[in-house]
Amino acid sequence: MAKKSTADGQYEVVWPSGERKQALQPLAKRLDTLNGKTIAQLWDFLFAGDEVFSQLEQELRAQYPQVKFVSWREFGSTHTVNEKELLASLPLRFKELGVDAAISSMAC
Amino acid sequence: MLRASEVCERAGFPTSSLVCEGFLGQAAATSVGLGMPNLAVAMIPGHPGAQSMEELRANVAQVTAQQVIDNLLNEPEAQEQRPEPAARDIVFRGSFEEVNAFFYERQWSDGLPIVPPSIDKIEQFLSFTDRDRDEVLGIVLPESRAVTIWAVAVNGVMAGCRPEYMPILVALAEAMSDPMYGVEHSGNTPGAETLIILNGPIIKELGFNFEQGVLRDGFMPNTSVGRFWRLALRNMAGFLPHKTDKGSFGNTFRVVLAENEDAIAKMGWLPNSVDMGFAAGDNTVTITRLTGGGVMASVTGSTPEQMMPYLSDGVAKQTSWEIVFTVGGITYGTLRPVLILTPILAQTMARAGWSKDDVKRHLFEHARMPAWRVEAYTEQWADFPIVSLKHQVNLGRLPRAFAESDDPNRLVPIVLQPDDFMVLVSGDPLRTNAYTFAHNGYLGFPTAKKINLPADWASRIKAER
Repeated sequence: MAKKSTADGQYEVVWPSGERKQALQPLAKRLDTLNGKTIAQLWDFLFAGDEVFSQLEQELRAQYPQVKFVSWREFGSTHTVNEKELLASLPLRFKELGVDAAISSMAC
Repeated sequence: MLRASEVCERAGFPTSSLVCEGFLGQAAATSVGLGMPNLAVAMIPGHPGAQSMEELRANVAQVTAQQVIDNLLNEPEAQEQRPEPAARDIVFRGSFEEVNAFFYERQWSDGLPIVPPSIDKIEQFLSFTDRDRDEVLGIVLPESRAVTIWAVAVNGVMAGCRPEYMPILVALAEAMSDPMYGVEHSGNTPGAETLIILNGPIIKELGFNFEQGVLRDGFMPNTSVGRFWRLALRNMAGFLPHKTDKGSFGNTFRVVLAENEDAIAKMGWLPNSVDMGFAAGDNTVTITRLTGGGVMASVTGSTPEQMMPYLSDGVAKQTSWEIVFTVGGITYGTLRPVLILTPILAQTMARAGWSKDDVKRHLFEHARMPAWRVEAYTEQWADFPIVSLKHQVNLGRLPRAFAESDDPNRLVPIVLQPDDFMVLVSGDPLRTNAYTFAHNGYLGFPTAKKINLPADWASRIKAER
């Protein structure tokens, strides 16, 4: 039987949200080294990400000289009207390009 | 961007997301909604927009780079999901004030008193839809929650809606769930706010204001349904200020704008519902996300030609950085500015033989801005690079109207085609004012849904009256 708000000025209430439909997902296994690995750069074309990636390449190469990068230019903006299609295409593109890991920037 | 990282991780590619310092809280909350609360984030100190290139590069070298390396090499700690109540669980029992305090503390209310969502109240709302109460209309970010008929009713109760508004609320939830709208962007920093446009006989059946003060609070249907939308964004989608809602300033919710369909029919124009692909006379909701608006007061003239220069000027001036949604700084051709005409203005145009399409065509040709200003918004004042309008035309991404000469003072359109303008008729019937809104592009693209009424609607509404 449905519960009612009571006549004594007391209310029994439910919460206002729907069920969370995204179960916890494990993250991918991390790399053992960056040397010899290929890192994809994903950029939403905001907040000087091109400069950030340029500096990151320099810093990562300083520690891991054999690290390789696939430029953000290869993928185009990830923050665009066809975002869903673009993101869905990434796993296959990564396999074609021999990508091992990705750096995604800049906004949330 | 975390959504990209989630796709990569799911496919087996480890990631590091780059996040500006001020967005770390949003990143943490968004990661939970993506089912990966341990998504690895590397911080960009401060914000690149306020740093010289030298400062930015130094920050990346000294802070960000090592975090990226750690994120790609070190296994993150495992996470557990917190249990949550089921839809019908009683989560609290208390007085009106206690319920409100309970909801406010949990960020389930907007700060105004809510109507306690008790089961009996919810049942009243559910009686105004033939849909299954557990039907899932969609799953929406940032919290990846199911949008259910039940949750719609709960938030409708809380907002102070009347039960008979339920068919409208359901249509709004369907629009929210439509990928075309892009609800997942509702927490972006410009803080744009949704406008709900209502069409059809339901306007008068439920007593919506469609005349003077149409955008003002004070009319229960317009106000409470507008409030429902913002509560739904909060509770059904999961947009919370200081967490997933990063509107730098934000906006309060907008009340529902109902068109004046009597005036529209009288002048031989068609309502917005037809522009959105429905039949005249259909009950529909349209949602579109707008960054801000302004009034054009005392539009003077007895002909369209006399009135349109002022209206075109006002529409063009309202759009500023939003031009990036037309010219490609973020995407192409998704800008949908809004012009609202009071009935007397629209009637004057119609009397001269102008259709709504004529108004849109005139706006396309005259609501323009200098090319240098477009390029300043994209290349100098803000960070939405396009190189130049001519470059975009040469690449075939923009029509020739954007580069008919090299004169930086040439006027270029603010949209790609006349139909990108939305023209509405509402407000004070006998006052010669107009209103215009700038639009937030594909981060809240106009999306319309038909309002489905329960089988016993006519008798129920008659009884309610």
